[in-house]
This record gives sequence, C-alpha cells and structure tokens, in this order.
Amino acid sequence: MNTQDTSHIRNFSIVAHIDHGKSTISDRILELTHTVEERDMASQLLDSMDIERERGITIKSNAVRVMYQADDGDTYQFNLIDTPGHVDFTYEVSRSLAACEGAVLVVDATQGVEAQTVSNANLAMNANLDIVPAINKIDLPSAHPEEVKTEIEDELAIPADDAVCVSGKTGEGIHDLLEAIVYLISPPKGDAAAPLKALILDSYFDEYRGVVATVRIFDGAIKKGDQLTMMQAGQSFLVDGVGVKRPAEVLLDELTVGEVGFVVTGLKDPAAVRVGDTLTYRDRPCDEALPGYREAKPMVYTGIFPIDNKDYENLRDALEKLRVNDPSLVWSPETSVALGFGFRVGFLGLLHMEVVKERLEREFDLDLIATSPSVDYHVYKTDGEMICVRSPQDLPDVTRIDHIEEPYLKAKIIVPPAYTGAVMQLAIEHRAMMTDMIHLSEKSVEMRFDIPLAELILDFFDQLKSRTKGYASLDYEFADYRASELVKLDILLSGDEVDALSFIVHKDKAYPLARGLCDKLKEIIPRQQFEVPIQGAIGNKIIARSTVKAVRKDVLAKCYGGDISRKRKLLEKQKEGKKRMKAVGSVEVPQEAFLAILKVDK
Amino acid sequence: MSISALYLHIPFCHAKCAYCDFDSRGLRGSALERALADYVPRLIDRIDAFGCAGALRFVDTVYIGGGTPTVLGWALADIVARVRSWCDPVEVTCEANPESFDGSLADALACAGVTRISLGVQSLDDTELVGIGRLHTSARALEALRCARDAGFDVSCDLMCGLPGQTRASWRETLQRLIAERPCHVSVYPLTLEEGTPLARRAEREPALVPSEDFQADCMEESERQLVCAGFHRYEVASYAQPGHACRHNLAYWTGRGYLGIGRSSAGMVDRACADRLAGLFPGLAGRLEAEPDAARVRFVQRDDAAERFDFECLTEREAVAEDLMLGMRLSRGVAAVDLEHATHLCGSHAVDEAVRASRDLGLARWVDEDGGARCLAPTERGWLLGNELYGIFWGLADPS
Repeated sequence: MNTQDTSHIRNFSIVAHIDHGKSTISDRILELTHTVEERDMASQLLDSMDIERERGITIKSNAVRVMYQADDGDTYQFNLIDTPGHVDFTYEVSRSLAACEGAVLVVDATQGVEAQTVSNANLAMNANLDIVPAINKIDLPSAHPEEVKTEIEDELAIPADDAVCVSGKTGEGIHDLLEAIVYLISPPKGDAAAPLKALILDSYFDEYRGVVATVRIFDGAIKKGDQLTMMQAGQSFLVDGVGVKRPAEVLLDELTVGEVGFVVTGLKDPAAVRVGDTLTYRDRPCDEALPGYREAKPMVYTGIFPIDNKDYENLRDALEKLRVNDPSLVWSPETSVALGFGFRVGFLGLLHMEVVKERLEREFDLDLIATSPSVDYHVYKTDGEMICVRSPQDLPDVTRIDHIEEPYLKAKIIVPPAYTGAVMQLAIEHRAMMTDMIHLSEKSVEMRFDIPLAELILDFFDQLKSRTKGYASLDYEFADYRASELVKLDILLSGDEVDALSFIVHKDKAYPLARGLCDKLKEIIPRQQFEVPIQGAIGNKIIARSTVKAVRKDVLAKCYGGDISRKRKLLEKQKEGKKRMKAVGSVEVPQEAFLAILKVDK
Repeated sequence: MSISALYLHIPFCHAKCAYCDFDSRGLRGSALERALADYVPRLIDRIDAFGCAGALRFVDTVYIGGGTPTVLGWALADIVARVRSWCDPVEVTCEANPESFDGSLADALACAGVTRISLGVQSLDDTELVGIGRLHTSARALEALRCARDAGFDVSCDLMCGLPGQTRASWRETLQRLIAERPCHVSVYPLTLEEGTPLARRAEREPALVPSEDFQADCMEESERQLVCAGFHRYEVASYAQPGHACRHNLAYWTGRGYLGIGRSSAGMVDRACADRLAGLFPGLAGRLEAEPDAARVRFVQRDDAAERFDFECLTEREAVAEDLMLGMRLSRGVAAVDLEHATHLCGSHAVDEAVRASRDLGLARWVDEDGGARCLAPTERGWLLGNELYGIFWGLADPS
C-alpha cells in the first residue's frame, strides 16, 4: 500500500447511548482484525484509567490503528478514535470528531433509538461526518432490527438502508460492519507535499520521553528529526519519534497525510502541548492554523482542602503529579479561616472536579474537602481597578464594589420539538436568554441561548438531560463578560460566618438559595452537643435560618456480662467518624456540607 | 488483685428475641436437652478447674446470665451448689425470663443459695412484647415477679425503652405498674438496633421502627422521675436500686475489680499478676503475656464451648487507668479526685485536666462532695444521656497522642 495514497485510510469514532455496546464492538473490531489476540483481551481496552472503567465513561481521547484486509483484496488502515463522553469535555469531543471523517452510530436492537443516540448523532452530523448505523445485540431474542431501522430513519433522518446488523457478543456481522466502514466513510483528503498541518487531539506525559501528542495529519507528513512548531502555543521542538498504537505502541518512520498517530515531542512541560493546537513545520509553516482552537481554560474553581492540615504538602505534591497527565489542571494557594490551608483549583467542569478529587483521595490517600464551585468574576472597584475573583472570600467589601461582571456562554441545545417548552422553562430558571431557534428537521430543533457560566456549571446539564429525558445535546463556547447584580451569600454556623460556605449568587436567587442551603445543611450536619443555628446572610442581613437540634441521647447503656471491650470499640468507632469531619469553631461539619450547594432541592 | 466476681454464661434460650445479637441459641425440647447435656458438664468442669487453682476463694458475687439461664430448670440449682462448694458469695444473681420461671423453680434456686433474680420484663404492654419477639405476656411477667418475691429473692427487673409502638403513655404505665409490684432494683435500657438482628432487618424496610433518640431520652428522664419518686436511687446510668440493693456484681465491672467469666462468650478481666498465675487455664495466654511485657490488665472472652479458644486483649497500665475512669463515669458517684490525681502520673496532668475541663464545659460532669467528704467528678443529668461523649473523653486519655 502506498502511504501517500489516502484512499485506503478511514478515520472514525464509535458513538452510542450508554450500554448499547460501544465497547464490545470496539473490542470485536480489534479482535477480528487480529490487532489484539483473543487471549489478551481485557474488556474496554480503550479506556485505560481505573476511574474510566469504573464509571464506564471515557475521560481521555485515544486512537488505535487497525489494519483490515477487505473483501476487495486491499488492506485498509482504520484509525479508531475514542472520544470523551461528557459535557465537561465538550471541547475535547469536538477536536476528536474533527479528526474523523466518519462515525459508527451504535443502536441497541432491543432498545432502539434513545436519547444519547440522538444527541450523539447530532454531534456527528454537526461535524459533517459520514454515519454508519450499526444495530447491535441482534443475538438477543427480543431484538427487532427492522423496527430500529425505521426509528433511525424517522427520528434521526439518517438513511438506514445501509445499517449493519451486528452482535458485539457473538461477533456476527462485525465483518459486514468493517466492509461498510470501507464503503460508507470517505477517505481523508490532503496533500502530502504541502506544508504540515496536523491537529493535536490529546497528549499525555511519559516520564522518559516527555510529552507525547496524539495527532491527525491533514497535510504533509511527520518523521523523526523534523523541526515542528505548535502554531497557537508558539513553541517549537524536534520530533523524537512517531508511531501508532495497535494498541501497544509501534514506532514508524513516518506519519503521513490522513493518518492518525502519536508524536514524541520531548517537551518536559505538559501544558506546552494543547488539545486543538496545529502542528506545522518550523521552517515551512502552513498558511493558517486549523479552526476551532480554544485555550483549555478552567471553567470552574473550587477550594480543595485537606481535612488534616498536616496533609497540605502532600496535597500539593499530589496535584503536581496529576497535572503531568492533565495539563488543564491549575491551582493557587488559598487560605480559609474555617478550613486552613488549601488550594483554589480550576477545572473544566464539575465532573472533572469530581474525578480529580476522587483520584487525589484514592491514589494519594488524602481526605479532602471541596468547597462550592465558583467561576472567574470580574469585579470593578469604585477606584476604577478591576480584579478577578475566583473565590467568594476574595470579594471586596460591598462599599468598594462598583459593579461585577460574570462570564457568559453561547450555548447550543438540540432537542426534539416536544421538549422545547421544557428547555425554555429550564433556561428561565437559569437566567438564560434565548437568541435563536432553528428547526433543523421535523425531529430536531436547535435552540441558542446566552447563559451565565455560573448557571451552567451547577446542575444545568443534569437538569437538561432529565427534563428532556436525555434527548438534548448541549454544546457551548465562551461569549463575553456581562454586568450582573451579584451578591455574596454567607452562611453562619452558631453565629459565626464560615468563609468556606460562602457563595456568589444573583440577587434574585439569593433568598430561595439561602433557604434551600440552610435546609440542606440541617440535613447534612449531624446533631451535636449544642443546638446549631444555621443562618444565611447577605452582608449583615439574615435572610434564612434553620436549626440543627442538640443531640439529647447518645449512650450505650447495656453491658453484656462485663464485655467492656465491646463498649470501648463503639467509642473508638465514633471517634473515627469524627475524624472524617472538620471542626469549624465548635461545630463538627461533614465533608459533604461544603458542597451542599450542589444538592439544594430546586 | 483477687477475683471477686464470677460470671457464668448460659448461651441458650427457648427463642431468640428480635433485637438480640448476644450469643445464644434458641432451642427447645430434646434439642435443648442434648445441647445442655453437652454444655453443662463442661461448665462444671471449668468451675472446678478454677476452684482447684484457688481462683474462686475470694469470690463474693456470682451472676448467671444468658441467654436464659432458667431454661436449665432444676439443673441450675446444681450449678449454684457447685459454685458454692468453692466459695461463699454474699450475692448470687440468676437471670430469668418469665416464661421459664415459676414458684417451684424459685424455691429450688432459693434452696441452692441464689439470692437475687434479674427478671427480663422489658415492657408491660403485650403488643410491645410481641413486637420484639418475647415469649411471655405482661401478666406472666408480673406472676413471675411475685413468685420470685415470695421465694424471698431480691428482685430486679429489666425494662427497655424505644420499642416499636411504644409511646410516652405506655412507657409511663409500664413504669407505674412495675413500681407497684415493689421490685428492689430496676434496669432501664434503651433499645439498640444491632446489625444482623431480625429487628434491624425489619427496620430497614420500616424506618419507623428505628428508635428515636429523643423519645428514648424522654423515656430515660421519665424513668428517673418515677423511680426516684418511688424511693429508688440511680447509682449507674441504667440501674436504679432501693437503698442497700444495688447490684454488687455489676459494681465490680464499673470499679475495676477482677472478674472471671465461664462459658462460651463470657468475658473476664484480671490484672497482670493474676493472669500470670492463671495462664495455664487459658490456652494461648502464656505466649501472649510474654509478647506483651507492658500488659497490666488482661481481658479475655471465651470463644467456644470447650474453653479452648479465647480472645485476649492486653491493656497497658495507662489504658487500664483510662478504662477505670471511663467506667467510673457510668456511676452516680463518678470518679474520686484522688483517682484523677493518680491518673495524672500515667496520662500527664495536662491531659487529665483537659478531660476534666472538657467534661465540665460540655455540661457532662460536675464536682460533688460525697457524704464521706471525698471530692468526686460525677456525671450530670446531661452526662447520663450523652454518656458516650463523656466516656469517650476519659477513654481518650489512653491515647498518648
């Protein structure tokens, strides 16, 4: 095969509703093409992180090359690109899809088209991908592939004549699927002789080789020894090697036009290589960078504090270690009266925050408290100075604030027409303004909104999914900063303000939120020796109140024939439980109280 | 330290109560007879072994608990007689359940030298009794109480609060009806849901069965009001006695005196010297003592019928002292200032002062002057109800950090 000829390359990703069998189909493809022998199969080969496997979600992108000998006698190079599956990583998804010409849309033959099928199909169609529908699980007695085909045509407006019926379990139909990929997905276009133009899909850090970038080449070729420049970051490096994952790494002489593979950059700073950046020759650059690049800016900031202040240094070391493979992670030291020393950490979104916190706790054995998420506010002071505020504690006194601006997003939501009312309602509740509504087809409507980022990060996505029964897809990008009437809501426990519980909120929402938060904290904070009043306040004005009643009885009176050890063990167990709580003044506060804002009943 | 208290465990009942997670097998008829025929001779052998070793010479209280010791019937008298052949106790208590206790057994036990009956009444409301799987009615309980009283025993009754369906009114009525029968000792235990018990499983499905701590607090306060009014003295968090009728055996547990346990699941506690002397009677103890030269106190729990397997727990002198303070705070007398002073030598005066300060600041304890003039740190009303907090403060003195 002539590597300059892109007609034998197919770049695609596999998308599906959860549990419709994306992973098993990926595994069967690797098996049938002898990329991985059966005995080496561990299920979900592509998801390498523990947490990814446990949660069944993909966090990082991944690309595996598969060689397929087709019925026409030729050998084709398939690059199977796995994409992250959550709105926090919407940008990473868009870059992964930009590296593909096609997508295999997996639909369960027993379940039919479901919500994520629709939202994923929308994402793929928006990226102008060729779509190969695959109807999976046809081995099951309850499979009804013909009806599912009709659904695909009716609900997704995707022609289903070419839909392939497969069983990821038995392997039936996988061969037909591979043939369909050859015939239905366009080969990549590009010019091998032109100056290099390659998209960075992902990067990871290797202790010995520095940063390794996963790339898709649109023009030109890369080989060891090339001098390359990253057009957005501006940094140059000497290529230390190129190769592909099969899924074990295989070094090659060259990656050329249309191909997907990895480039060893030798760079020591993980943050230097950014997803979406364009690689080109240092001495013979292409005219312009690939479109769609966004700086990976943290969207949301939370305080992360060790419960035991002695763990501060350990937490910093742990963050340093995580950042090596997650360059989007940024932090700065933060001090809280209630929680002591910690860090204000920036995240791509709340799922990202949860995953990072869980990894810190699990992999580094730390007990941590995360505080209420905040965005980056621009505060204009009366003296004309503008400061960026990422933590409610840093907000200047009200008398010194002229006005506050908050980040707004342009959000694009695609839903079936039946749900536009529900989406409107949700938008109103979240201070969003509809800017446009476009009927894409009989089955889908695109709604565009301007929405404050602070509203989107809290629970907007979960609410959107639940109120549209999962049918909505969401994409967003940063718009601008706009003035808003924002206030700082403080929480007082036993009359003392707890800085780590403060929250910046729109003034119209302050009252209901304060009430909700006081009620939620009442549920979360266990009864203590003394009554604990919980108050919500703006400035000096108390706007909500609840009370944790004092515990009245806590005694194990029964003694089993002098078995004192048993009693002592109970006391020791109670003491252990207290260690997991943070003493704020005289009040023992459980970890989850500091994220109560996320659990307030709407 | 000599052994002053002896506990004998009878791990059998006619049926297990729904809340009970203590070691007992529910058996009846021939199955029970076979089990007892196997168990009782081993118990007697064990009594003799300790007797021969001279360990029972200074025993002055005996407590036969269960399970339900009265399922043994007349065999109980033989056991008591055997114990009495080795020592001359002033108090011999036998636990009894109303359904297996009557006048003739009462007479037999009295003849054998039992002095005190601890009767599992729990409640005098029949619906509540059914709810926790008791085999007797309230009428049967009162009848048993009268039999015991008529036979000349000191009678103690156990009551439980926080039972499914129990109300303030029903609790008050239980207390009043019981007081009218003039027992000389009453114990009040709040119900705890123990993991794995039928009641705990039921409560998972029916959260209303989970006893309310507030309701139990109300019940505990009501008990104190009623019982004190009827002439009882609350000498321990759960125990009320008419003057002169406090349970000497239970006091041994709370005052750091040595006690022996015989029978499966029974617990004992002795000091180092005594443990060294008796090591031959506890397989594995000699090796354990050698490995723990700092052990000042040893507690053991028998794990089988044959007394071949034991769990040992070794406490340092510091831990033993902290444990004594913790247990002392269960008593209305509390802990004497001299005992706190003694603890400072092992736990440091700063730590002891802190514990005293914390318990007083939290309103759990206060200084009182005993009749004899000794100054004691004693639990307050609040200290009774929030006992775990108070005990935790003093047990915390065991931890050097």
